[in-house]
Amino acid sequence: MMRKTNTTQYLKDRNTVWLLISAVIVILILVATVVGTTTHRTMAQTAAMPNHGIVCTSNPSSTFTLATTEGTISTPDGNVIYMWGFAEEGKAFQHPGPVLCVTEGDTVTIIVNNTLPKDVSMIFPGQENVQANGAPSQPQFDTAGNLTSLAPVAAAEGGSVTYSFVADKPGTYLYESGTEPLIQVNMGLFGALVVRPAAHVDWAYNEVVVSGTVTYTTQFNPDAEFVLMLSEIDPMLHAAVEQGLPYNMNNYTPRYWMINGRSFPDTIAPNGADWLPSQPYGSLIHIYPFNDDPGAGEAYYPYPALIRYLSVGTENYPHHPHGNHGRIIARDGNVLVGSGGEDLSYEKFTVVVGPGETHDELFAWFDVEGWDPVTNPIPVVIPQLQNLTFGTFYSGSPYLGNTDQLPVGHQALNACGEYYHIAHNHALQQITAWGVVLSGHITFTRIDPPLPNTCE
Amino acid sequence: MINQEYMKRRLSRRQVLKLGGGLIGLGTLSAILPKALLKPVGVEAARDQQITTPDLHFAASDGWIYLPDPAIPPYHPDNMAPELLTTYIFGFRNVTGLTDQQVFAQKMKMQLAAPTWWIDQEADFTLKITNLGLQIRPDLIDAHTLHFHGFRQAIPIFDGEPHSSVGVPISRNLTYFYRPHDPGTYMYHCHFEETEHVHMGMVGTVFVRPLLDQTLAPRRFCYNDESTEFDREFAMMLNEIWTFAHWCDSHVQLPEWSDYLPDFWLLNGRVYPDTIAPPGGGTDPVTGDLIPPTGRPELQYQPISSLINCNVGDRVLLRFVNLGYEEQSMRMTGISMRLIGRDATLLKGRDGTDLTYMTDTVIVGPGESADAIFVAPDVTPDDGLDYKRFFLYNRNANRISNGGAPGYGGQMTEVHVYPASNPLPPQTVPNT
Repeated sequence: MMRKTNTTQYLKDRNTVWLLISAVIVILILVATVVGTTTHRTMAQTAAMPNHGIVCTSNPSSTFTLATTEGTISTPDGNVIYMWGFAEEGKAFQHPGPVLCVTEGDTVTIIVNNTLPKDVSMIFPGQENVQANGAPSQPQFDTAGNLTSLAPVAAAEGGSVTYSFVADKPGTYLYESGTEPLIQVNMGLFGALVVRPAAHVDWAYNEVVVSGTVTYTTQFNPDAEFVLMLSEIDPMLHAAVEQGLPYNMNNYTPRYWMINGRSFPDTIAPNGADWLPSQPYGSLIHIYPFNDDPGAGEAYYPYPALIRYLSVGTENYPHHPHGNHGRIIARDGNVLVGSGGEDLSYEKFTVVVGPGETHDELFAWFDVEGWDPVTNPIPVVIPQLQNLTFGTFYSGSPYLGNTDQLPVGHQALNACGEYYHIAHNHALQQITAWGVVLSGHITFTRIDPPLPNTCE
Repeated sequence: MINQEYMKRRLSRRQVLKLGGGLIGLGTLSAILPKALLKPVGVEAARDQQITTPDLHFAASDGWIYLPDPAIPPYHPDNMAPELLTTYIFGFRNVTGLTDQQVFAQKMKMQLAAPTWWIDQEADFTLKITNLGLQIRPDLIDAHTLHFHGFRQAIPIFDGEPHSSVGVPISRNLTYFYRPHDPGTYMYHCHFEETEHVHMGMVGTVFVRPLLDQTLAPRRFCYNDESTEFDREFAMMLNEIWTFAHWCDSHVQLPEWSDYLPDFWLLNGRVYPDTIAPPGGGTDPVTGDLIPPTGRPELQYQPISSLINCNVGDRVLLRFVNLGYEEQSMRMTGISMRLIGRDATLLKGRDGTDLTYMTDTVIVGPGESADAIFVAPDVTPDDGLDYKRFFLYNRNANRISNGGAPGYGGQMTEVHVYPASNPLPPQTVPNT
C-alpha cells in the first residue's frame, strides 16, 4: 500500500485533505465570482463561453480541423498528468477534445492533423457511411494481416486524414481514436459529438410519445444543457507513454476519475476557469425549480435540463444525482420510442453508463412541498448551531431562497439560499484521486431560487 | 435523548409504525400491522405542530461482526476483535423506545446490514439519528448522516449529504422528515466521508409502501399497480467487505481506495451459509443490546436473514439494493423472475407500455435497486426435507466464495418452497 511519497502520505491525513479541499473550493468560488461576468478565457474555443453548461464548437460548414496535441492536466491531489488530445488547429492542447455540435442532415467533415509520434485515427460510433479521404472508412491491416487500426490513420508526426459523414440521426455520440485505443483513448484522444434535430434545436430528438391527450417531447431548456463525459486515468500508463516505454495493459489500474476531464472539486469550477488552462469544461448542473404555470411570471421554468452522459471508461459507472430521478430518453443516440410510438423511456436514480455508451437524461427538480419559514415550516426542529456540522454549500436555512446564521468562521459558499445536491459515481472508490477522498466522479446540481432572486 | 411526551393525536399510529419499522432490526415475529392504523395522517394536522417524537430513532457508531474462515492474515480475523467476532464496522442500530442510558450503551454495538424499515406513501415520517461516536477510534470526530437514497424532490436538509446541508456530531442528534409520494425500493446510508463510512457498513434497505396497500387491504403491492401484488417480500441488500480496509480503520490506517479488492460478498450483512441462519432474536429489554439468533451467538450483530421461505403459488417479491462498489449479477436457479421495477420506479411507460420482463438474472449496480417477483412453482420436497430448495446467488462466481476458500459462500441464499400439503403461515414481516 505504501507506494506513495511521504508528501502524499501526509496529504492522506484526513484533516489535511479537508483543509486542502476546502481551500481549493474557496479559491474556486472566489475566482469564479471574479471572472464570472467575463466572456472569454485562455481557451481553445473562440466563442463566448457560458459559466456552466455545454460549450459547443460549431461552424456553418460543420468542418472541423483538429490537431493531435500533447499537454498536461492537473488533478486535485496536486499531480500533473501527461496527456494527448484533439484540439482545433492552431489552438492550445485541451482535454477532453472539443464538443462538436452539428445539425441533423449536416455533412460533417473532420480533418485530423497528427503531430504525435504514433499513427492516430478517429472512429465515430453511431455514424454510418463514414468516409476517410473520400473513400469508405475501413479497418487497416499490415502486410501480415494483423489489424493495426479500426480506421485509416493520420501517420505519425505530420500525417493527415479527412473523415466525413452525414449526421442524419440526432443524438449524443462519442468520437475517439480507433488506433491502439486501449492506449490512445486513455491518453485523451476522445470527445463528444452532439447532433441536434433540424426542426427543433431545443429538442433532443424528433420523436414524441402520445398518450391520450398528452404529447411527450424531448424539449429541454436550452440554458440547461449539459455534457458529462466520464473517464478514468491510470497515471502509470501516462508516465510510460511520456517516457516512450512499453506498458502492459494487464497492469491497468485507474487512479483518477474525471468528468469532462476534471476531478472534483475542479468539476464545479466554471467553464474556462483560467487556473485549469487545458481543462476547459465544467460540470456544474445549474437549474431552477421546474414550474410550468404560465402565470408564474419570471419563475416560469417549464422545461427540464438535458444531461448528455458519455463514458470512455473501462467499466460501468453508476452515476447517482441526488435530489430527483432523471428520465433516460435515449441510449447511444437511439431515442427510447418504439416502432409503434411506444414509450420506452424510463426514470432512474442511478444512471449506469457503460464503456463507450451515451445516455441522454431529462432532469428537473420540483419544489413539491413548498416549504416556507412562515407559511409552511418544516415539521421538525433543526438543532442549534453548536449541535451540528455544516457543509460548505449550505445556506444556514432549510428553505430555498433563504439564508440563516452559520457558525463563526464557517466557510460558507452559498450565495443566495440556493440548494445544492451532489451527483456522483456510487462505486465510491471512484470518488477519490489516488488517495485523496471526496474527489473523482463528483459534481453538484445547483438549484437557484425561482426568479426574481438575489443570486448573482 | 428520548422525549417521552408523545403527541396524543399521533400516538397510536406512530407507536405501531415504530414497531413495524423496527421489526427486521429487532427480529420480532409477532406483529401484524392493522391496516386501519396505516392511513396517512392529514397533511394539515401534521403541519400545525412540530414533531418532537420521531417515528424511528437510530444510533450511529462502530461495532464488530463475524465473517467465517479462512484467515487472511493479518487482516482477517482482526486481532482487536472481541471474542466470536472478526471484523470492525461502522453501522446503524434501531434504538427506538430505549432509554437514554440504554441508547448510549449501544456504542460499539452496531449491526450489518443496518435495519430494514418502511414507510407509507403520503404518510409523514420522521427518523432521528444519534451519533454515539466510535469506541475503537476516539481520535476520529466523524459526523454521521442518513441519506435516503433516491428520495424524489429531496431538499438538502433532509437529504443527509453533509456538504449541501448538515452532519450530526458525536453525542448530538438530528431528525429527518419524509413525506414520500413515490412507492418502491430505496436504500439508505451515511454520506459523511462516504467512501469510508459506506464501505464500513452504514448501509440498509428502506421501502415506501404504495397507497394501493390501503385501498385494497389486506392485499399487498410493490407499486400502485395491481400487477405488482405479492404474498411475501425479502430485502436483498448487497455489499462487499474488503477486510484490509476494515482492518485499516481499527488500526488507525487508511487504505488506498483505488486498490479496492474485496474478499467477502454479503447478502443482508451475512455470507452463505450464514445467510440462511434464522433472524436475530430482537432487542434485550434490559440492556438494549441485540439478542443473537438461536444457537448462533457470533451473528449477534448480523440479525437479518436472507432465507426465502414460501409456499407453492406464492408471489414472492425480491427487493434488491446494492450499496457495495461492484455491479452484481444475481441469478435464480430453476425459477424465472419478472423484473417489475428499477430504482423505485415501476417499469411502465408513460403511455402504459409494459417494460417489465422475465429473467433469471438481475443485475444490480452500486446505488441501484431492482424489484423482481417470482411465482413459487409446484414442487415435490427434496429428499428428507419438508420443502424443495432453489438457490439465489451471484453468478459472478468468484463472489460466492468466502475469502477465496473452496466451496460455497458469499452472496448466496436458498429458496425453500413448501408444498400445498404442508404450507407455511402467512408472512408477517419481510425476510421471515
